[in-house]
Amino acid sequence: MGCGVSKSNQFHKSSGKAIRSAILIQRWYRQYVARTEMRRRYTWHIFQSIEYSGEQAQIKLYNFLGYLMDNFTPASNERNLISHIFRENEVCRDAEWERYFCYKNIEVPEIYSGPHLTFPLTVEQAVGLVEAFRNKKQLHSRYVLQLLLETWKQLRMLPNINRISTCHSKEITICGDLHGQLDDLLLIFYKNDMPSLEKPYVFNGDFVDRGKDSIEILLILFSFLLVYPSEVHLNRGNHEDHIINLRYGFTKEVLTKYKMHGKRILKLLQKIFSWLPLATVIDQKVLVLHGGISDTTDLGVLARVDRHNYVSALRPPKKRHQSSASLSVDSDIDEDIWSPNKMFLRRKSLTFLKTVPRDSFQNRSLQDFSDRIQVNPADELCQRRPSVFNLGNAAPEKEMAASVSSESLSVIDEWKQILDLLWSDPMNQDGCVPNEVRGGGCYWGPDVTEDFLNRHNLQLLIRSHECKQEGYEFCHNRKVLTLFSASNYYDVGSNRGAYVKLGPDLVPYLFQYQASSMIRELTVRQSVGRTERSALKVLREQMFAHKTDLICAFKTFDSDNTGLVCLSDWASAVESVMHLDLPWRMLRYQLVPCKTNGGMIDYHEWFDELAIKGPNADHIDQSLLETLYRHRSTFETIFRIVDADNSGFITIEDFRQTWMLLSVYLKMEITDDTISDLVVTIDRNQDGSIDIDEFMEAFRLTDKKSRLERGRSMFMGTATDLTKLEGDPNI
Amino acid sequence: MGRAVNVGTSATFLLHFETFGPSAADYREAFGLFDRVGDNKVAYNQVADIMRALGQNPTNKEVNRLLGMPSADDMTAKRVEFEGFLPMLQTIINSPNKAGYDDYVEGLRVFDKEGNGTVMGAELRIVLSTLGEKMSADEIDALMAGQEDENGCVNYETFVKHIMSV
Repeated sequence: MGCGVSKSNQFHKSSGKAIRSAILIQRWYRQYVARTEMRRRYTWHIFQSIEYSGEQAQIKLYNFLGYLMDNFTPASNERNLISHIFRENEVCRDAEWERYFCYKNIEVPEIYSGPHLTFPLTVEQAVGLVEAFRNKKQLHSRYVLQLLLETWKQLRMLPNINRISTCHSKEITICGDLHGQLDDLLLIFYKNDMPSLEKPYVFNGDFVDRGKDSIEILLILFSFLLVYPSEVHLNRGNHEDHIINLRYGFTKEVLTKYKMHGKRILKLLQKIFSWLPLATVIDQKVLVLHGGISDTTDLGVLARVDRHNYVSALRPPKKRHQSSASLSVDSDIDEDIWSPNKMFLRRKSLTFLKTVPRDSFQNRSLQDFSDRIQVNPADELCQRRPSVFNLGNAAPEKEMAASVSSESLSVIDEWKQILDLLWSDPMNQDGCVPNEVRGGGCYWGPDVTEDFLNRHNLQLLIRSHECKQEGYEFCHNRKVLTLFSASNYYDVGSNRGAYVKLGPDLVPYLFQYQASSMIRELTVRQSVGRTERSALKVLREQMFAHKTDLICAFKTFDSDNTGLVCLSDWASAVESVMHLDLPWRMLRYQLVPCKTNGGMIDYHEWFDELAIKGPNADHIDQSLLETLYRHRSTFETIFRIVDADNSGFITIEDFRQTWMLLSVYLKMEITDDTISDLVVTIDRNQDGSIDIDEFMEAFRLTDKKSRLERGRSMFMGTATDLTKLEGDPNI
Repeated sequence: MGRAVNVGTSATFLLHFETFGPSAADYREAFGLFDRVGDNKVAYNQVADIMRALGQNPTNKEVNRLLGMPSADDMTAKRVEFEGFLPMLQTIINSPNKAGYDDYVEGLRVFDKEGNGTVMGAELRIVLSTLGEKMSADEIDALMAGQEDENGCVNYETFVKHIMSV
C-alpha cells in the first residue's frame, strides 16, 4: 500500500481535484444510505401498522361477542354458538379434568418415528426433543398430553412473580418474543447453549402464533422447565391467550398437526397459559415482563391476584362462589357473573341517547336486534361495559362505586393490572394513555417509568411485545429495554433477533442474530428491497379490500366526476379510509403504478387491474365479495369460535347463524337468499357441512397482470410462505 | 439533474419530483418518518440525511453551515422543527452544485493512473477514507461490495452506472 505520505505526494499536483472527487463519491454514498434508510422506515411502518390494527380488530371482535352474550337470552341460538368461549371451565373438579386429559389410552403406533418420553423427564430427553424437532419430527399426542399435564402441575406451584438471582456468578439469559419461529430458538441454543444448572433462562412470553412451530417451541420450553425448574422461567405474553390464538394461527396449527387430540391439547394449553407466571424479578433490581406497565401498575397487587382465573386476559374472571365444588356448567352462571355490569348498564341507559332501549334486549333474538342497531357495537361497548377499551377511563366506574360491591371493583382493578402488564407499549412523551392502536393496555411515558422504578426500588425494566429492527431497543433513558427474539419477523431480512445476558453486575450484554443463511448473502439494498416489496404487496391487498370505501372517498374530491384526483387529495382520501398513518405521497408510485395524467391520478384504473376471485363468484355480488375479502381474518376467527369442537367443519345451519352475527357486526345488509347462494357454492359435496379452510382458500385476490395468484394475507401465512411468493417482478 | 434511470422504487419517487416539482407536503412526510421522538422535530444530526433521502446531495459541511456551525453536542442534542428545516432544504435545492453521471466519471478518472478506464480498488479505499468527508471502513466495504475484479480493479464507468441505479 505504501504510507500515507507518499500517496499524498502522488496526488499533490491534482490534490484539489482528488479531494473534490472524493467528496463527490462520499456525498453520493451518503445519499444512497439515507434513501435506503427511509425505505426501510416506511416499510417497517407498514408492517407494524397492519399488525397492530389486526390485534385491535381481534379485541373489537371479542368485545362485540361479549356484548352479544350480555344482551341476549340464554336460550337464543346465536348465543349458544359463541357462549362456549366464555365458558372457561367446562369441567371443574380435578378428578374430572384428569379424566378429560387422560393420555393413558392413547396408543403410540409402531411406525411412529418421533421421540418417546418417559417421566420424570431427564435432561437427555429434553435435549433429544430439541434434536427431534430440528429434524422435523413431531411429538406424539400421547406424550404431548403427558408433558403438558406435568407442566401444568409444575406451573401451579409457581408464584405470580418469580424472584431469581444471579448469585454464584451465573449469567441469566433473557429471550423475547419467539412467535413460533423454531429456527430462532435453535439459533439461540446454538450460540448460547441450552438451559442447564449453569445456564438459567427467562423466556418473556409470546412463544406462539404467526410462526409455524409454536407447539414445538412450547414443548421444548416446557421440557426444560420440568428438568430445570429453578433455572428456567417463563413469563406469560399477550399471545398466551386462546382468544388471540384463534386469529393468529396457533389454534389452527395445533388442530392441523394433531387431528385427533388437538382439541384436548388446546384445552389443556388454555389452563397452562393461565398458570404462566406474570413476571420475573432478578436480584430485586431488574423486572422482566412481556408488555409493560401503566401509571397504576402495582407489583404488590400483581403478586396477590389469582392469575389462573384469567384464562384470557381480554376478560375479567368468573366470580368465585363460596364452594367451588358447586360450580356447574350451566350457562346461567355467566349471567350472575355479569350482574355488576348490568348495574352499570341500567344506570347508563338512563343517560344514553342510543336507539335501542336496554329493556327490550332481554327477549329479543339476534334477528330482531340486527334491524335496530344503528351504532358501531364496538363504540357502544366502550360506554357500556368494562371492556378492554374503556379501562383507561376510570371515571365512569368510579361513579358507580357506591352501588357496586367493592369485590367487583377490585376484580376490575386486578384485571386492568394484568391487561396493562401484557399489552402496554412505551412512548416517548410523558404520561399514560390507553393503547388504542392495539386495543388493550396503555402507552406509558418516561415519567411513569421513573416513578414506577423508584417506587419498587428497581433499576431496569426488560420487556418484549414490539418488534425492533436490531432485535432490541433502549428507551426512557435506558431504563426500559425492549427485547425481541424472532428475527425476520415481518419478512426475510426485516429485522434481527436478540437476547440479553445479565451477570451479577446487572449490566445488559446484548447478542444479535438473524436466522437465515440467505440473509448474509444479500446486500443491504437487496434485503431492504425484498422486505419493501412484501410490505407493499400486503398494503396493496389491504387497500384493495377497502375498494368501495376508497372510491367513495376519492369521489368526494372529484365532484365533476372526472375520475381523476390530485396527489394531495389522493393521499388524504386514502388515509381517511385506511387509518394507517403512512406516508402515502411517498408510497403512491409503488402502490398505484400507472401513468399519470398531468399530475392527476386515475383512481379507477388501478382497481380494474385486480379482482377478487371468489368460489364461482359470478353470481355473488361484488361488494359482498369485497367485504368478505376484507374481513376474512375476522370470518375465520368467528368460524373457529363457532366450531366449538374444533373439528374444522361447521354445519350449514351454524354457517347461517354466523352470517347473521357477522352482518350485525359489520352493519351489512344480507338477505337469506344471498346466504343460501353462498352456502350452495361452498358446500360442494352437499353433505351439510362446510370446511372452514376450504372456505377461506376460496377467497383470493388475483392480479390480472400477474400469473401468480396471491394467497391469503401474509399474517395468516408465515415467512416461508412469503418467500415462496417472491421472485415475480410483477408483484 | 441525474438521468431518470427507471429501476428501483426510490428512483421513480424522485422522477415524480423532477417531473412535477416537489411540494412541502412531500417533504413533510419524509420529515415525519425521521422523527423518532414524536415532537414533530428532528435532531440536527439527522438533517443532512433527510435532505439526502429527498434526493438532494449536500455535503456535511454545507449542512453544518446552514445549521450555524453547531458543536458535536449540539448535533445530537438540538432539534429543529419542519418549518425551520424547509428553508434549509430550499437553499440546498437551489444551490448549483448538482452532479450527474459525467461529473462522477470525471471525478473517478482522476484516480485512473493508466488511463484505461479502471481505478485500483485499494487506492479508492484510501482516498475515501483519508480525503474529503471521510468514510468509515464499513461504509467503504458496503460501497465497494462486488465492484472489484480479480485484480482488484474497478471499472469506473460501470461503477457509476451501478451507483446511480439505486
